[in-house]
Parts: sequence; C-alpha cells; structure tokens
Amino acid sequence: MNALEIKGLTKKYDNTVAVDDLSITIKRGEFVGLLGKNGAGKSTTIKCITGIAQFQQGEISVMGFDVQKDYQAARDAIGLSPQEFNADIFAPIEKVLDFVGGYFGMNKAEREARIEELLERFGLTDHKGKPFGKLSGGLKRRLILARALMHNPDVLILDEPTAGIDVEQRHALWEYLIDLHKAGKTIILTSHYLEEVERLCSRVIVIDEGKKIADLTKDQFTKGGNSLEKTYLELTRV
Amino acid sequence: MNMIRLGAVSRREIQRFLRIPIQTLVSPWISATLYILVFGVIVGSRISFLEGIDYIDFVFPGILMLQLVNGAIGQSSSSLYFQRWTHTIDEMLASPLSYAEMIFGYIIGAVTRALAVGAGIYLIALLFTDATPAHVFLFLFYLLVISIIFSLLGLLVGLWAEKFEHLTVLQSFIITPLIYVGGVFNSIDMLPESMQFVARLNPFFYMVDGLRYAMIGYSESPLLLGGIGLLAVALILFAAVWTLFHKGWKLRS
Repeated sequence: MNALEIKGLTKKYDNTVAVDDLSITIKRGEFVGLLGKNGAGKSTTIKCITGIAQFQQGEISVMGFDVQKDYQAARDAIGLSPQEFNADIFAPIEKVLDFVGGYFGMNKAEREARIEELLERFGLTDHKGKPFGKLSGGLKRRLILARALMHNPDVLILDEPTAGIDVEQRHALWEYLIDLHKAGKTIILTSHYLEEVERLCSRVIVIDEGKKIADLTKDQFTKGGNSLEKTYLELTRV
Repeated sequence: MNMIRLGAVSRREIQRFLRIPIQTLVSPWISATLYILVFGVIVGSRISFLEGIDYIDFVFPGILMLQLVNGAIGQSSSSLYFQRWTHTIDEMLASPLSYAEMIFGYIIGAVTRALAVGAGIYLIALLFTDATPAHVFLFLFYLLVISIIFSLLGLLVGLWAEKFEHLTVLQSFIITPLIYVGGVFNSIDMLPESMQFVARLNPFFYMVDGLRYAMIGYSESPLLLGGIGLLAVALILFAAVWTLFHKGWKLRS
C-alpha cells in the first residue's frame, strides 16, 4: 500500500492555477523531500492532502483512504506541521497538545502520557503552563512539531519544520526524524535548507508553477559529484 | 458522534471563555444588575402595570434573555472568527473531527457560557424578587433553545465576518433592536392595534413571551406554536451551519 497517492491534482485560487495536474506516489516508509520556489505549489499541495484546502480536480489518498470520501480515516493517518504558528496563542502549551489529542480521539490517559513524552522530547517541559503566544519562535516551532506527532501518525508532513530553530535544535530534530523514519514513519519534508533535504531524504520531488518537474532519488540528484543545491538550481532556473 | 472528539472541542470552547471571565461573565452580570435595579426596582416600583404582577417580574425574563443571547452569540461568533483569522481552525480541519462534532462542540461552549451568565443573573435577581419559575421544565427548555439558536446564529456570523467589526453587526443592528421591541419592557397590549400585528411578526417576541410564561405564568402568545417555531428555527439553523461547514465555506481555502 502506498502512503500517499496523488492523481491529477489541480487546485485553483479564483483564476490562478496553484497546482496543475500533479501526480505523486509515495511508498510507505519513504522519506521524501518536496522542493520548489516560494509559490511553487508545495504548501497548497499539502493543504489539499490534509483537508485544509479544497481542490477542483484529481484524487488524493493517504494510506489507502480517499481524503474526500474517507476523510476521517485519511486525516487520522496524517500528522501536519505547517509553516505558520497556527496554535491558540492564549492556550497553555500542554492544552494545545491536549485538545489536538482529543480531536484525534485519544483518551485522557493516552493524552497525558503522550504530552509528557513530547514535552520532554522537545525540551518544552520547563515551559509547561506558558501560553503558546509567549514562547520564542524556536520554541513555538518545536511545539508545532510536537503537535504533529501527538497522535503518532503513520505519515508526517513537515512544512519548513526547522525554520527559526537554532543549529543545536535543528541537529537534534534531524536525529529525531531519522529515528522516526527508522521506526517506519513515512515523512514528507519541505524545506529551503537544501542540506537538510540532502541529509535526510532518499528521494526528492521538485515542483515549479504547480507542476512536477523532477522526481529523482537523492543519488540521481547528486550524480557526478553535484550538490543537491546545484542540481535543484539548474532545474528551477528560468 | 465520538464523545472524546466532541469533548475536546467543547472543553476548548469552555476554557476559552473561562480565560476571560471579566469580559464573558462579570460584565453581563453587572449589566443585568443595572437593568434590574433601574427598570425593575427604581422605575418599576412606580409602575402599576399589570394586575397582580410586579413590573420587575415582568421585565426580568427579557433582561435574562438579552444576556443569554449576547453570551451565546458572542461566544460562537468570536471563537470561530478568531480561529479563522489566526488559522487555528486548521487544527480542526486537518483532524478527523466530523462536521457535527465541530458544530456541537461550539454549541456546547456557547450554551455553557450563556447558562453560566444566566445562572449568575438569576442569583442576582433573587436579591430583588422571588424569581422562582412557575414552570421549571419549560423554563429550562426556553433557556436551552434560545441559547442553541443564538450559538448557531453566532456560527453563521463567525463564518460570514471578514473583519472584527462585522461580529457586532447582527447584534447591534438586528438582534438587540428586535429584542427591545419584542415585549421586554411592555405588554404588546399597550401598543396601538396596528403595531400589535407587527410585534407578533417579531420572532423575539415568542422567545421573551415563552420565557416569561415559564417564569411568571403570564403569556400573550400561543405558546405551543411559539415553542414548535423555535425548535424549527433551531433545526433550520443547524442544517444551514452544517451545510456551510460541509462545503467548507470560508473555512477551507
């Protein structure tokens, strides 16, 4: 079974085509980098997968569940860490996790145990009780990541997960993502830090103007001693 | 309906208004106390209004309803609009919550706030009058149905609003004026005959009148028809809100 299957996805905002007949298949357990310039259609694609955006054409399934017909099962399989800090700024951080755990049907005991584990894992235990809005940018990013992991999803979608995080935390996060991948999670990562993608992902998909322009293994990308960045720039240069 | 998921949305909504108790609870209690003092006690003691009914007892159901309405509509409209504005609504949209669980979660939060406001006002009223409801179950029915109707209306406002000031448009220009002319302070028998017909077209009249009957046993409208009408309004509003959530109107980009 594929973790993600997108067939002929087209998404328009009024008359602007954001994603144009996009098809992508990602197998279970893959670690895939989704690259593209700002406005290329990466975040829109993610929003269509997760149900935050509607789309005009195409089909998307996650772990075999259609995101429109079986939306509850499909969303249950996904953990999303979006670019924006979209948590309640007034809610204490443990409550942010608690509510989201509840949305995913976790009972009280499961939520409490998972919250402790994640706060500890992301170095947020000392900030318990603080409203989300009072955290620094780096801490907010960590909490958004913890929120994505709250219900232990099969598929993790991380949209710029290390933006604003200091070098030490970035490296710690990379190690954590590698562990999650080894544990069988499927991870889809967008990032403007190409060394991050090069280090973590085994496959890279490049989107430009809503279309897929490359879908290669990391080895193919770095063939002939090229860096991923060099190949990427060649692909996206107008 | 998954109770854990519904419970999560409801708890979030309840904790939201409990974080700002001065605005959500104390302010309407003070406002209602002033209404009770001025209209009920100070002015009311000089009004010989209806035989056997003190003016304070006549106006109190309307004062209670006014604050119930403000609490319910204020909670659901501001919560939904703020979540849209800050994109925190995406947390719910990307989760397995069903539309019914989302909507009922908002309703439970708004009804809880309205009833908390109402309970405080009721206790305050006991200082000035014997506010024992004549028909307890009918009293609870009206409290609940009125709170549900306005929490659903609040969700429609929260979806429709494009800026903060839109949140108050419905309340300021439609709801509050209609409540004031819906027989809160006067019997519609006191109006000219032509105006009485217009007053009976006002849906708020049936809410005020039903609540008043439940409290003091005095009514000027066909209660059964009014009660059925209110239930029908609640169902129609629920269907409208569910349809808009299902379509993702102003929720999903």
